Amino acid sequence: MRRLHIGTSARIIGVLVILGIAVFPLYWMFVTSLTSNQALFGSSAQMFPDLTRLGTYGEALSGNVLRWLMNSTIIAAGTCLLTAVLALPFAYALSRFRFRWKSIIVIGLFLTQMLPEALLVVPLFALFRILDLLNSLVGLILVCTAFVLPIVVFILKGAIDGIPRELEESARIDGCRPFGILTRIYLPLIAPTIAATAVISFFSGWNEYVFAVTFAFDPAMQPMSVGLASFIGELSTPVQTVMAVAVMYTLPAVAFYLFAQKYVVSGMTAGAVKG
Amino acid sequence: MATVLSSQAQRSATPRSRSQRRKSIQGSRWVPFAFLAPGAVYLLLFQGFPLLEELRMSFTRTSLLNPSVSEWVGLDNYVAIFTSPAFQQTLRTTLVYVIVCVVGAISVGLGSALMLNSAFRGRGLARALIAVPWAAPSVAVAVIATWMMNAQYGIVNRWLDTVGLGVPGGSILDNQTYALPAVLATTIWQLFPFCSVVLLAALQAVPQEVREAAMMDGAGRMWTFRVVTWPVIKPTVALLALLMTIWSIRRFELIWIMTKGGPIGATRTLVIDLYSSAFEVKELGTAAAIGMVGVVISLGVVIASQLLTRRAERKDL
Repeated sequence: MRRLHIGTSARIIGVLVILGIAVFPLYWMFVTSLTSNQALFGSSAQMFPDLTRLGTYGEALSGNVLRWLMNSTIIAAGTCLLTAVLALPFAYALSRFRFRWKSIIVIGLFLTQMLPEALLVVPLFALFRILDLLNSLVGLILVCTAFVLPIVVFILKGAIDGIPRELEESARIDGCRPFGILTRIYLPLIAPTIAATAVISFFSGWNEYVFAVTFAFDPAMQPMSVGLASFIGELSTPVQTVMAVAVMYTLPAVAFYLFAQKYVVSGMTAGAVKG
Repeated sequence: MATVLSSQAQRSATPRSRSQRRKSIQGSRWVPFAFLAPGAVYLLLFQGFPLLEELRMSFTRTSLLNPSVSEWVGLDNYVAIFTSPAFQQTLRTTLVYVIVCVVGAISVGLGSALMLNSAFRGRGLARALIAVPWAAPSVAVAVIATWMMNAQYGIVNRWLDTVGLGVPGGSILDNQTYALPAVLATTIWQLFPFCSVVLLAALQAVPQEVREAAMMDGAGRMWTFRVVTWPVIKPTVALLALLMTIWSIRRFELIWIMTKGGPIGATRTLVIDLYSSAFEVKELGTAAAIGMVGVVISLGVVIASQLLTRRAERKDL
């Protein structure tokens, strides 16, 4: 009995340590944003935020930062919409029809997961120069969609797989066409999964960096990721402001990922299993 | 079934259009392709075409300054990179980076999953919190990591100084020996929650009664884990190893923002080398060749893992 007790408290300590490690850097980001210069560059670190300094956030939200936030939001929302429109029929076809080359398409989808973004930056840079899509939010939406589309297709296919075929068959008997079956029967039934994939694609656009830093050299077209990274090595912006911007950039992503966690995990692993 | 359908169709008010519709649904083999076309064309344009273009470019000398002019040089780029000591260094760094990431992320993930896999108060909250590093955008993670490792005021340096492990010369990220471990620690911090969450799900399939019975009979923790738990989660661990390998080969933002591959190439992995060759050295041909080496390595990993999985399955039968 006593041994069990020791085991339990060791486990609790272990859980607390691992949670501490998981959360500390983001906590530190927040604390740093609310620390005075004096404390920041003092001899010992200040471990708690000074809540009277919340004004830092208001000051940070001006000029460039507002523009970056807006650009990131547009890229994320565009990616989200375009991905949903392309992924739904794709997933429906993969889930409900039998046709030639199906396994090749699935393998192809999986292989796209293998390609580093940095690899496709060069040829897409050349392509976008011809199409005049550099320095454009539309261009960034197009590439972000290309990278998140396969994952979303896998997740949606899984959701449609889980719905009994009888529903579709009875709708067919009633004369419903395939497009109607997709929009009127499957769409409402898999709405929660669609919402989760919307979150995933939104934040893949929100987080994207490689393409944005390469394609958007015009400061007016840069998103948060590029703007935030540009603070590094630059000395004129106070550390507190940088961290405040980082917190504002991180918080929505963390909050929404927690909401969609279950789907993200199952989708990403499903994609790999099927390959 | 078919006769029922056709008799219904005949009885309906507009028999012709009904049977026509039915044919267009079940008869035409073009229907699935109509649904696939938009997404497939899209992926071919933005993933397939660039990949082929990259392959072509790897056999040419092309400058970023004037990419429309490219001179065919055959295998020259490949010969050049494979004979360059710098690229061999890149391959070694990539290998170390990938192996440590995979092993680190999976073992920390497994350890934390085992700890979280028991009933205690606040378990739901703990499971949610552990996912936080994975949800944070890479750029934000790179920014906070860089600040924490700041030479003078970074908290990591303050801690290391307190325990007498202070880095000579101050900055961890500018130090040849410490830069790679620092970048690795940050990467593992960001990746382990995913492993943890996936393994937690897999652990639900471990038969608790068997585990408890084994413990009751005096079996040690390690033995119970090896005999009861491990066989159940082994396929999941294999899958995670594959995912982590691919993801760490791909990983760019974190390293690029924290060190740009430096100091003196200490953290220069394949994708960093690729990006820097293209946009700093401005040699698109070399960059493309490096990229194709990366693709071949990733493909090799995927194929090897598939073969291993098949063999393991056959053994089990």
